Amino acid sequence: MSSRRSSRLRQSGSSRISDDQIADLVTKLQHLIPELRRRRSDKVSASKVLQETCNYIRNLHREVNDLSDRLSELLASTDDNSAEAAIIRSLLNY
Amino acid sequence: MASADKPINTDVPEKDVFALHFLQSLSNLRRQNTFNSPEKTNDRVKKIKKAAYVSMARAAGGTSRLWSRALLRRAAKETNKVVRFSRRKKRVTWLRRRSNRRDPVEEEEKEAERLRNLVPGGGAMETSKLIEETAYYIKCLSMQVKVMQCLVDGLSPK
Repeated sequence: MSSRRSSRLRQSGSSRISDDQIADLVTKLQHLIPELRRRRSDKVSASKVLQETCNYIRNLHREVNDLSDRLSELLASTDDNSAEAAIIRSLLNY
Repeated sequence: MASADKPINTDVPEKDVFALHFLQSLSNLRRQNTFNSPEKTNDRVKKIKKAAYVSMARAAGGTSRLWSRALLRRAAKETNKVVRFSRRKKRVTWLRRRSNRRDPVEEEEKEAERLRNLVPGGGAMETSKLIEETAYYIKCLSMQVKVMQCLVDGLSPK
């Protein structure tokens, strides 16, 4: 528990994070989001980046939910042997 | 962490690592007879979803990331009800003073708030840390989605 506390202190007690660092991080984030990567402009505001990030994360969560649904159906309906073989085969082929 | 020149590392492990952890989780579920028993579909889906997030957190490095640590902690004490992320300490924003007018920095902070609710453990993070963790979280999430998509494609009848 004390390690948790000290790691928090390290973040907020250390020298102030510069605006440059924050801008740099926001740029990195911008490159990760497909929506914003297509625009290729540097004029996307930080709040827009954060907004698109939220949307992107929500989409990813939704995809995980959908895929969990489908996986649940598929895994329940296939029998053991073929399921294992199919799983290993599909993951080795990506 | 204190140096301003240190580059923020957001490399994630290879897709195999995520696939391996997810497979392990799935085979654990298989051993518990999750797929063959006449269970309610909802429970099965929930277990798979939980396995997905937990295996993703493990693949990403377990407790070495704030968000993965929060995910694992939540999974460990989760029952059947939804757990909301609560703020445990007063967070530090990048606003040096609170301004009453609607300026851009306030907009950023509002969006950052929303982001905090989406990223596990975000409530306790300082804004710059939040952004760093988000970058990593997004990468891992999309890896996990790719792995699951591969599985679904492989298992679907041709």
